[in-house]
Amino acid sequence: MYRLLVPIVLLLILIGVSVLSDKPTTRADLVFINSSDVNTLDPQRMSWMHDLRTARLIFEGLVRNDVLSHDFDIEPAVAESWTISDDAQTYTFIIREDAKWSNGEPVTAEDFRYSWRRAMLPDLVSDYAAMFMNIKGAQAFYDWRTEQLDAFSDREFDSPTDRQQQAYALWDETKSKFDELVGMRSPDPNTLIIELEKPIPYFLELCGFGVFMPVYEPLVSQYERPDPETARLIRRPGWTRGGVLVSNGPFTLERWRMKRDMRLEKNPHYWDRDSIAIDSIDIPSINDPNAGVLAYQTGAVDWIADVTASYRGEMVAQKLQYLAEHADQVEQLRAQGLDQFAIDRQLPPNPRAHTHAVSSFGTYFYNFNCKPFLSDGQPNPFADARVRRAFAMCIDKRAVANQVRRLGEPTARTLIPPGSIGGYTSPKGLPNIGDAEDSAARDAIIAESRRLLDEAGFPEDFVVTLSFNKDAGHDLIAQTIAKSWQKHLGIQTRLDQKEIKIFRDDLKDKQYMTARAGWFGDYGDPTTFLDINYSTDGNNDRAYNNPHYDDLLDRASVELDPEKRMELLSEAERIIVEVDVPLVPVFHYATIYMFDPHKVTGLSTHPRTKQNAFLIDMLGDGKGPDQPRPMHAPASESEDDES
Amino acid sequence: MMNLILRRLAALPIILLVVYSITVVLAFAIPGNPVENPEKRPKPEVVEQMKKQYNIDSFPNFYISYLDSATGFEYLRDRLSGQIARERQLAIDEGLPPPIRPIFDFGPSLKYDDKTVNEIIADSLPVSVTLGASAILIALIIGTISGVVGAVKPNSIADLSTLSIAMIGISLPSFVTGTIMLLVFSIWLGWFPVAQWGTLRSIALPAFALSLPFAAYIARLTRMGMIEALGADYIRTARAKGNPERVVLIKHALKNAFLPVLSYLGPATAFAMTGSFVIERVFTVPGMGEHFVSAVQNSDYFLIIGVVLVFSTMLIVFNLAVDILYRWIDPRIG
Repeated sequence: MYRLLVPIVLLLILIGVSVLSDKPTTRADLVFINSSDVNTLDPQRMSWMHDLRTARLIFEGLVRNDVLSHDFDIEPAVAESWTISDDAQTYTFIIREDAKWSNGEPVTAEDFRYSWRRAMLPDLVSDYAAMFMNIKGAQAFYDWRTEQLDAFSDREFDSPTDRQQQAYALWDETKSKFDELVGMRSPDPNTLIIELEKPIPYFLELCGFGVFMPVYEPLVSQYERPDPETARLIRRPGWTRGGVLVSNGPFTLERWRMKRDMRLEKNPHYWDRDSIAIDSIDIPSINDPNAGVLAYQTGAVDWIADVTASYRGEMVAQKLQYLAEHADQVEQLRAQGLDQFAIDRQLPPNPRAHTHAVSSFGTYFYNFNCKPFLSDGQPNPFADARVRRAFAMCIDKRAVANQVRRLGEPTARTLIPPGSIGGYTSPKGLPNIGDAEDSAARDAIIAESRRLLDEAGFPEDFVVTLSFNKDAGHDLIAQTIAKSWQKHLGIQTRLDQKEIKIFRDDLKDKQYMTARAGWFGDYGDPTTFLDINYSTDGNNDRAYNNPHYDDLLDRASVELDPEKRMELLSEAERIIVEVDVPLVPVFHYATIYMFDPHKVTGLSTHPRTKQNAFLIDMLGDGKGPDQPRPMHAPASESEDDES
Repeated sequence: MMNLILRRLAALPIILLVVYSITVVLAFAIPGNPVENPEKRPKPEVVEQMKKQYNIDSFPNFYISYLDSATGFEYLRDRLSGQIARERQLAIDEGLPPPIRPIFDFGPSLKYDDKTVNEIIADSLPVSVTLGASAILIALIIGTISGVVGAVKPNSIADLSTLSIAMIGISLPSFVTGTIMLLVFSIWLGWFPVAQWGTLRSIALPAFALSLPFAAYIARLTRMGMIEALGADYIRTARAKGNPERVVLIKHALKNAFLPVLSYLGPATAFAMTGSFVIERVFTVPGMGEHFVSAVQNSDYFLIIGVVLVFSTMLIVFNLAVDILYRWIDPRIG
């Protein structure tokens, strides 16, 4: 009989062993839910926002954005100072003496040369390799390596050993070719001189971008060696494990368990360690949107970086209701110039106040296919800019933002979120029926649109197709837009819902009439949005081609006077949103955060939506100054290191 | 007995090779490819480059090279040629931890390319094993007891109620039962933590939710077996000898009635331990079930094959374990 108990005993042993081997750790000072699981901690291979957000905790670039300043100023990081030559093509960075890797070794100029060379190698297929091509000789180096690799695969070898030796020889040659071709020099360990192909007004911004952060050569180089078959550098995983990764940022990686959690600890060698007010960070992987909110409500999580629960619209509505209850006080505090989190902190504590809609550096828009003929060979009425303008004006953007999205997002007249880039003046954009002051103004816009359609000879009985992928509520937005067009322009519409993969291919092949799209900026310059409309750009899904527009961007790229350059770019955006309208901006995205403003401080409200979580101070935990860290005006003159 | 074990173990590699071949074919049949990610659109040359790097541009190349590393031949070659020793030395010279070279290398994950499939499985399999073992344990206890109770007085209220609960357990999808439990026990009553893993308290709720369908099935198996056994001659003999009813039930009847449960236990344990996607999602359990679904969505070939191979191996091993137990508990089966 006792034999029947054997399976039970076996199971008990199994459970006991695995529970005991999995010791729970103490709760970190800060626990936050990233928008998704980190794909990679290799800075040169990053492209996702949540990867970059994590990278800024672990690594540090030459400079960084002061995310709490109104203008997102560039401030010193690994580089304590820098000078820019008169022709704006040579940057000399002085690396601070106390910049250290997490194993105590100094961070040197060579580390940057090594890391940036990685990004310039075709072998590594960095998503942002193009950003490095601004550096003198980088493109030539990339092309040379590509050619050599192609030639290698066509070559005959005496033996596999010979092949392997040649592969290693090519790698050595590549390293010296980099020294020879690329304009990155380090006369001493603390000086890094970078020459550019042409002046890049936002080059410092790029230097603060995650992909430009350094990696530790003695570690990383061990995981990358030329493949004996193809001579390509093969990248093996393993160096981004907890306890292995050597990094130079405010935190070090203690543990990273896939789909489970990531644990960061304060880096004892970080040069600015005294300003860090938290000792440890947990980033649990909670992919279920509801579970994230529940975990927050039980107090297990301090900050959710992107609430996606289906009821977030109601959460935002409750927050607005809460703000409305304190309208007078809010008005007063706003007049004092306080940011939205600081205002929340002044109001009486309330769970409803933990939801925050933060404007984002991204825009939702509709593409028009600008090709003269549609994929079925029919003439394309949208090839006429007048038709595009008419359709653009008659989208009820207000209805989309307020009734469909319900996240308090602003309607968009421009592609670039206004106020997100310092020194840039956004164009006015086309009038829109959703924003019309009264019904007379609205009727006037509709009449004007109908006139444009008549003028362009828009064919009667033409059926307009709206394409979108089937996720994330795009169907409801498409229905709203289609209804606008039916009602105000008397147009017949057809909704075309597709799988994301097919939708994407159709965009690329221009197999659509109108299609939903979205774009998030990578760096703080208008070109991060405007480049997608350049005739030859890989992201020009609209087949838009206006030589005048291309010319404006070309001229801006060589314009040295920042003011004139911004004017050129503003004019370029004006052409996009007022004249040619290859796309209609519908609304600017908001990101929904959840955190208790009375407990968490140090998050930025800037529309660039970039958070440096190492600035967070948990109020009242006895660590750090425990003072609110609100948004502040531009840094004072004395701190200005630029010359 | 030895014969059986040897025969099964000899068949293991052949079965795994067949499973492997079918999985590779199916993985390559998924539309789209792993290096193109849905939101960012890599340039065509980037896609070509990655395909070359991971050998996914050619089916035969991929098939052979994966087999080479997963079976340990690649490790053996590098070991013999001194490659592994050289790499270790290089790391030690720099004062860094030496690279990990597993014998059976399932390759990199294409979606999470900082991680090897070995690491991903090593992180998630223990979690799934704990959850699965706990669930099966709960299912065994609940299922056997309610099965016996039902069989003692068939069609009584106790029997009918356990039967209907069992029916509900089998037919209600776990995302419904799981969500209700989470709401009642974690949110309203606050007895269990939300979205945490590691402590016994955090394991209890998902394990219970996962155990329900298994418990229901075990209850029905036990009940049927018990009813059949209680009508048999040897039970009448046992009673006639004056054995107390408790001894008759447990020692004589349950011993025989339990055999079908035991044979069900093999595949059930393998299924429970390799993860339940739904339970893991609802309770945020960092187990392996998630990878079965997301790896396919991401066309992450290496990960798909890795988890399928691990699952197949577990299925075979647990079936073997059950067969051994079976013969040991009931020596009549040869």
